[in-house]
Amino acid sequence: MAARLAGGTALAMLGLAGLAGAAAAEPLKVGIIEPMSGPDAATGELYVTAARYGLEEINRAGGFNGEPIEILLYDNGGTAAGTVDKFKQAVADGVRVIFQGSSSAAAGQLTADVRKHNLRNPDSRLLYINDGGAALDLTGDKCHFYHFRFQAPAPMLVGPLVEAMSEAGELGTKVYSINQNYSWGRDMETAIRERAGDGGYEVVEATLHDVAKIQDFAPYVARIKAAEPDTVLTGNWSNDLLLLMKATGEAGLDVRFGTAFLDQPGNIANAGETALGHYLASTYNLAAGDEAFPEDYKARTGHYPVYLEPRVVIAARAFGKALEAVDFGGGAIDVTPIALALEGVTLETAMGPVTIRKEDHQAVMPIVVSRVEKGAPYPVDGTDMGFAPVRTIPGPEAVYPVQESCEMQRPG
Amino acid sequence: MLMEFLVVSVLNGAIYGMLLFMVSAGLTLIFGMMGVLNFAHASFYMLGAYIAYTLSALGHFWLGLLLAPVLVGLLGVLVERFLLRRVHAFGHAHELLLTFGLAFIFEELVKLFYGNFPVDYRMPEALRFTAFTVFGTDYPFYRLFIGGTAIAMFALLYLLLSRTRVGLVVRAAERLPQTAEALGHNVPLVFMGVFGTGAALAGLAGGVAGAFFPTSPNMALELGVIVFVVVVVGGLGSLEGSLLASLMIGLFSSFAVGLDWSLAGALDAVGLGGWAREMGGLMTTTLSSIAGSVPFLLMLVVLLLRPAGLMGERS
Amino acid sequence: MRRHHLLLLVLVALPLLVLPPFLSLGLQNTLVSMLVAALFAVSFNLLMGQGGMLSFGHAAFFGIGAFATLHLMLAVEDGLGVPTPLLPLAGGLAGLGLGLVAGYFATMRAGVYFSLVTLALAELLHTLAPQWDGMFGGEAGMSSMRMPWGGLVFGSVLEVYYLSLAWVALCLLLLWAYTRTPFGRLTLALRDNEQRVRFMGYDTHKARLVVFAVSAMFSGVAGGLLAFSNEVANYTTFGMPVSAQVVLHTFIGGSTVFLGPVVGAAVLTLFAFFVSDLTRSWLLYQGVLFVLVMLYAPLGIGGIVELHLRHMRELRWRALAGPYLGAAVAGLLIAAGFVFVIESLAVLFSSDYAVLRRDAGGLPPFPFLGTEWQPLSPLTWLAPLLAMAAGGWLASRAGRRIAPLWDEARRVHTQGGETA
Repeated sequence: MAARLAGGTALAMLGLAGLAGAAAAEPLKVGIIEPMSGPDAATGELYVTAARYGLEEINRAGGFNGEPIEILLYDNGGTAAGTVDKFKQAVADGVRVIFQGSSSAAAGQLTADVRKHNLRNPDSRLLYINDGGAALDLTGDKCHFYHFRFQAPAPMLVGPLVEAMSEAGELGTKVYSINQNYSWGRDMETAIRERAGDGGYEVVEATLHDVAKIQDFAPYVARIKAAEPDTVLTGNWSNDLLLLMKATGEAGLDVRFGTAFLDQPGNIANAGETALGHYLASTYNLAAGDEAFPEDYKARTGHYPVYLEPRVVIAARAFGKALEAVDFGGGAIDVTPIALALEGVTLETAMGPVTIRKEDHQAVMPIVVSRVEKGAPYPVDGTDMGFAPVRTIPGPEAVYPVQESCEMQRPG
Repeated sequence: MLMEFLVVSVLNGAIYGMLLFMVSAGLTLIFGMMGVLNFAHASFYMLGAYIAYTLSALGHFWLGLLLAPVLVGLLGVLVERFLLRRVHAFGHAHELLLTFGLAFIFEELVKLFYGNFPVDYRMPEALRFTAFTVFGTDYPFYRLFIGGTAIAMFALLYLLLSRTRVGLVVRAAERLPQTAEALGHNVPLVFMGVFGTGAALAGLAGGVAGAFFPTSPNMALELGVIVFVVVVVGGLGSLEGSLLASLMIGLFSSFAVGLDWSLAGALDAVGLGGWAREMGGLMTTTLSSIAGSVPFLLMLVVLLLRPAGLMGERS
Repeated sequence: MRRHHLLLLVLVALPLLVLPPFLSLGLQNTLVSMLVAALFAVSFNLLMGQGGMLSFGHAAFFGIGAFATLHLMLAVEDGLGVPTPLLPLAGGLAGLGLGLVAGYFATMRAGVYFSLVTLALAELLHTLAPQWDGMFGGEAGMSSMRMPWGGLVFGSVLEVYYLSLAWVALCLLLLWAYTRTPFGRLTLALRDNEQRVRFMGYDTHKARLVVFAVSAMFSGVAGGLLAFSNEVANYTTFGMPVSAQVVLHTFIGGSTVFLGPVVGAAVLTLFAFFVSDLTRSWLLYQGVLFVLVMLYAPLGIGGIVELHLRHMRELRWRALAGPYLGAAVAGLLIAAGFVFVIESLAVLFSSDYAVLRRDAGGLPPFPFLGTEWQPLSPLTWLAPLLAMAAGGWLASRAGRRIAPLWDEARRVHTQGGETA
């Protein structure tokens, strides 16, 4: 809090003082725009913690351009209008790099904002590190040179999930797809249908439902039961996943779940034993990685990295590695060389190497499939359950083909 | 197959309806008796769940269920006595705005103390068992427990209002405050009691339902508007109406999931289905995927055609 | 009275015209949001303050205005020859259209029922919009870009600001003029005694519909300005928080005065700008402020200012200065104590502190305001409580001295009015 206050005060002062005079060496200002109030604050908090951890790591290694990186926090309240406001504020504060991830809708706006800003202000371009927005069109229709995505969109998760589950003999031949009715859920449904051939299953039924509105999932469970699937694949998150799993457990329905967000804090505790045996496809699993990272993270933030946090740290580390390759000699900062350097980065992680695909700036990340088990290392939510890694699929195998709709204009 | 769909949908829908009734009963009472549209009502429901959670985390689930209505009711009494009464003179719009501000405050306070994530409020193991099995689906006992509590709540309120003098006094206090006062009834005390009882009912609903549905700072927001729908559709102030409306909405939400109706499907009947499918957008959206907006449509229709609601006596 | 108003207008308008180029980019942005919020709030208040209709779904008209403007902006990008400065007009037309349809139904009801109809309408739109890709661009919404026109690029915030200022000033002028027309006065009568208006031979449903549509139209212009400034919008623009915000602005500013909502919008927008990045509890403070205004100053800030202006001559300012200063100090003391308690609690109940507690095996001191505080030390809690108590005492003392002075001023005012 104190650090936040200090940062905030500095920020307010900047706002008042108007033009911040150029100091001897120009510090790189990085803005983190996430919801810290409102209904999505829970997720926003994780994004902020992880991004700050990653950026402070760069500062401990000496910062950039002869100065420590200046980290500025912006609370967008989880709304579209808030995101635009805070983006403008970030520009006003002299921010050159933006980290954001907590929703695809905000990401969609932000990437458009950054593109427009860069068109209008070629001398002070911005770089947008998207560490969470999963909508496919962010690297399709909306792709541009200054946007980098460190998140696995639907096809990148469904492929490995199906592959690992079928290898373990737990996928079966009948799959039920239930997803939230918006771009992410629809991307998931499409991906689940597309994988049917390779995975050797049939999609017995596909359901889309309202996002974050349904209190009682029992009717959906009744429908799932009627379709008699072996496995339910879902991209649901937050309450929509939790309630779905609880209702399934309570109805005594014996199906396997393949999920994308089961590791969100609170899910396992709330679902209880119901969660055992279900699968998760994600971009990191502590149990499969090096031990130093979670311990250091815990020492600095108070908890082991969970859910999206390791991925955000990977994004920050890749960004840090790109900075190492650029030198402005303390002078004016231009994000174009940084973006070019980021394209060439290869970051070794405990899951395997992470690279950037030049054509659409999608991070090629390994995907790890895990299973909820008792006694797994790094138990979550204060339970004795955790995510035991089943299989890691290397990035190049997991990644989806470049979308034709991406027409990226490269600088120069 | 059809039989199974019907039975399971009715069972599921009825219980969800019962939950809606539990939360809205207090609001119906407060509006019917005092004319105050309490925007903070769903917040009382949330506070009840958090109080019950706090005690159950200490190992006292039943004590939590007992204290949740008591403490929330007490809070309701305080709100009425020290806040609502102050603005009463400025009219109902002002009362509504005040409760609207309170809803903001309650939500932020819960976040302050309990954080943003859902808390782990669970029923005790003793209640976690299957009541019966229909068509191979287990029916958890706790759903029956929710339904039972709602029915008990309804019976108690109904008897209290129609069979005892309490109901009479309260009605008199609302319709003819001066006369009731002259007859020796303490009208402000009656209002305080009604508001407290309404809040306590929401608190109890929170304590019971919070263990089944997640207890999170968003729960007030999620249920807030739908509770208005119940009260409006049932008829503002009518207990029987709320019960009926709750069941209707519950059953509808349950059945809508099983039905893949869309505008395009309906247009097939007149041979325009193909055209509608080309249009896309709303035309091909299935009923199940927009089930969430139907209650609002229902509320609109009722407000416009029969503002007294299904069972309301006045407009 | 007239002269005061004119003077006030100059005092407000001049800085708005002259200052912005010298302000930081952040403040320039905030001023644009402030203008949009002010126009939205005044439009809303035409319905509430003038017509007595409390809408809980005004985001519907604000939002439709934003989307209509974006559609027009996209058309302009494709070569349609509409001058860029006229874009928000699309918002006004869309607001008017939706206002006529929605208003026809909503104005059939009054009081709480009216509020509920508007709430249901906005929620309906909010739940349907993300499903309707072609119209509202799915959940990510729509995005466009302002095109240069007449030598102006419309790339900088300042250009957007001055255009918004012109639009808002024009709209406020029109709205003000509307309240002076015979029909505008009829609106007031509608609020105060609908039956009488009916007996006078007017169709009250039609009259209410007209007020509703006008209010919706200007809300649409406000939405259009937002779209013009942000160049994006998504379905959350229809959401309850937007409808709620305009209610807060209007009532904190004061719904009985024409420019009251402007004050509310300005205060809260600036409050959000300075505070929202400092503390996570800023929504709590905003809620508390709103409840306090409802309880102790139902006229709102604008109403209080107006009251002072009206009694300018009768008030004994010299006698009031002392108690007013006391009340201000009291307010500061209470606010400081309250903020200290809330922020300390925020630290004590945070996940970061939970870790500290586990590591220390007790209740370690917590850092706040640059020093360490003992959570169990009475000093930690006594200090803010004492500040609040002292503030309360001071406030009641000041209140007791202020009340008779005001009674006197009111008495003189009515007498003066009678003799004049």
